[in-house]
Amino acid sequence: MSIEALPEPAAPLIEIRGLTKRFGSNEVLRQVSLTIAKGQTVAVIGPSGSGKTTMLRCINLLEEFEGGEIIFDGEPIGYSVLSDGRRRRLPERDIAASRSNIGIVFQSFNLFPHMTVLRNITAAPVRVKGIDRATAERTARDLLARIGLSDKADEHPIRLSGGQQQRVAIARALAMQPKLMLFDEVTSALDPELVGEVLAVVKQLAEDGMTMVLVTHEMQFARDVADTIVFMAEGQIVEHGPPETIFAYPQSERLRVFLRRYHEAYLL
Amino acid sequence: MIPQALFRNFLYLLRGAEFTLLLSALSIMLSTVIGAIAALLHAFSPAPIRVLVELYLFLVRGIPLLILLFAMYYMLPYAGIDLNPSAGGILVIGIYYGAFMSQVLRAAILSLPKSQWDAARGLGMRLPLTLQIVIFPQAFRIAAPPFVNTCMQLVKSTSLVSIIGLWELTMAGREAVERTLAPFQIFAGVALIYFCICFSLASYGRYLEKRMQYVH
Repeated sequence: MSIEALPEPAAPLIEIRGLTKRFGSNEVLRQVSLTIAKGQTVAVIGPSGSGKTTMLRCINLLEEFEGGEIIFDGEPIGYSVLSDGRRRRLPERDIAASRSNIGIVFQSFNLFPHMTVLRNITAAPVRVKGIDRATAERTARDLLARIGLSDKADEHPIRLSGGQQQRVAIARALAMQPKLMLFDEVTSALDPELVGEVLAVVKQLAEDGMTMVLVTHEMQFARDVADTIVFMAEGQIVEHGPPETIFAYPQSERLRVFLRRYHEAYLL
Repeated sequence: MIPQALFRNFLYLLRGAEFTLLLSALSIMLSTVIGAIAALLHAFSPAPIRVLVELYLFLVRGIPLLILLFAMYYMLPYAGIDLNPSAGGILVIGIYYGAFMSQVLRAAILSLPKSQWDAARGLGMRLPLTLQIVIFPQAFRIAAPPFVNTCMQLVKSTSLVSIIGLWELTMAGREAVERTLAPFQIFAGVALIYFCICFSLASYGRYLEKRMQYVH
C-alpha cells in the first residue's frame, strides 16, 4: 500500500517505502509507506500494538528493519542495497550522522540523570556536532527560555516535574537543529495537569514550521496541531488524511471502532 | 594488663602493613584495568572474543587464589618464566580480582535502562561517546559499593602471598609470633590493622556513594 500523506508539490523530507519489521515471527510493520513533506505535522494514532512507536523508532534507525527503505532528504538512510539486491546495514558512523538530523523525544523523557539540564542540552551539540561550548550554551539558554525553564538550567533532572523534564527533552532534541522531530507518546507518562505545558511546546513548534511526526493518544491535540492524521492498526496504515475528514468521516470499520472506543473511554 | 609483646612489635607490624597497602593499591589498579577491559569485551565484543572472556572468567573464578599463587610460584619457572615474587603476586591477584571487578562493572553497565542508550543514540552519539559521557558516569555510581566491597576482599587476600614468601603484614605477624611466642596478642594486632584498612576503605566507599548522588 502506498500512501501520499500530502499532495504534491511540497518537497518530501522523508519517504518510507514498504517498511517491514519483525520481532521474531511477529510482523509488527507490514509494508508501511508514508511520505512526509517539509513543514508538515503528521499525527499517528491507533490502538496499542499497532506499530506506531516501532515505525517512529525505525525512522530514527533505533530499530533495524527487514524490508523496505527510508529516504531522508533525498538519501536512503540505514541500509545500502548491494549489487546482488541484498541489503546491508550502514556502518554506525553513517547511522549516527543520520540520527543527528532526526530528533526524537521519548515517552519516558530519558534525560541523563547525572547531568544538569544545561549539560543535557549541550552534550550532543558539543560532542557530536563539534559546536563550541559557549555557542552551544547560548543556544541551550535560548531554548530554555522558549520553553519557560530558564531558571532550571543548573538543576539535575530529578528536581524537575515530569512536564518540565519532557520540555527539557524536547529542548535537548531541538539543540541538534534537526530537520525532523519525532515525538513518541510524549504525554503518556505525565500527570493530566502536566500534559498541557508539553503540548503547548509541541504546538508552538508546529506553528514555527518544524516537520514533525507525533505518535499520540491525545485525539483533540492531534486534531488541533496536525495537518495529516495517520491511523495504524496491526502494523499497517489503514487510513490517512486531514483531521477533519479522519475524525468526522472515518472510512474503515477499524477506525470507526477505534474512535468509538476512544470517545467511550473519554466520556467515562 | 598491657599486651607487651604486641606493644614491642607494633612498629614492625606497621612496616608489614605498609607493604600490604602497596601490594593492595597496585593490585586494585591492575584488577580494575583488567576488569574494565574484560567487562567491555564481555558486553560489546563479537562472539569469539566473548567466549574467550567467559573462559577467563570461569577459570579464574573457579580456582582458589592460593592455587593460582602456587601455580605462579612453582610452575612458571618450569615454563622458563621467572617472575620475582612481588611482581608475580601483584599479577596473580590482579588477574584473579580482575574477573570479579569485571562482573561488578558489567552488571552496573547492564543495569542501566535501555532508554539511556536510546536517548544517546537518538542524539547521534556513537558507542565510544555514549559509553564515555552517558553510560560510564552512571555505571560507576552503581558499581561503587560492590567495587569497594571487592577491594576489601582483595586487601584481605593479600595475606595469602606470605605463603609464597612475600613479606607483608601477615608474614610480619608470623615472624613476630615466632620471636615472642605470643600468638594471641600479635595476631589480634594483625587483625586490628587489617580491620582498620578495610574500615577506612568502607568509609571512603560510603563517602563516595554520598558524593556521587545526583542531588545533595
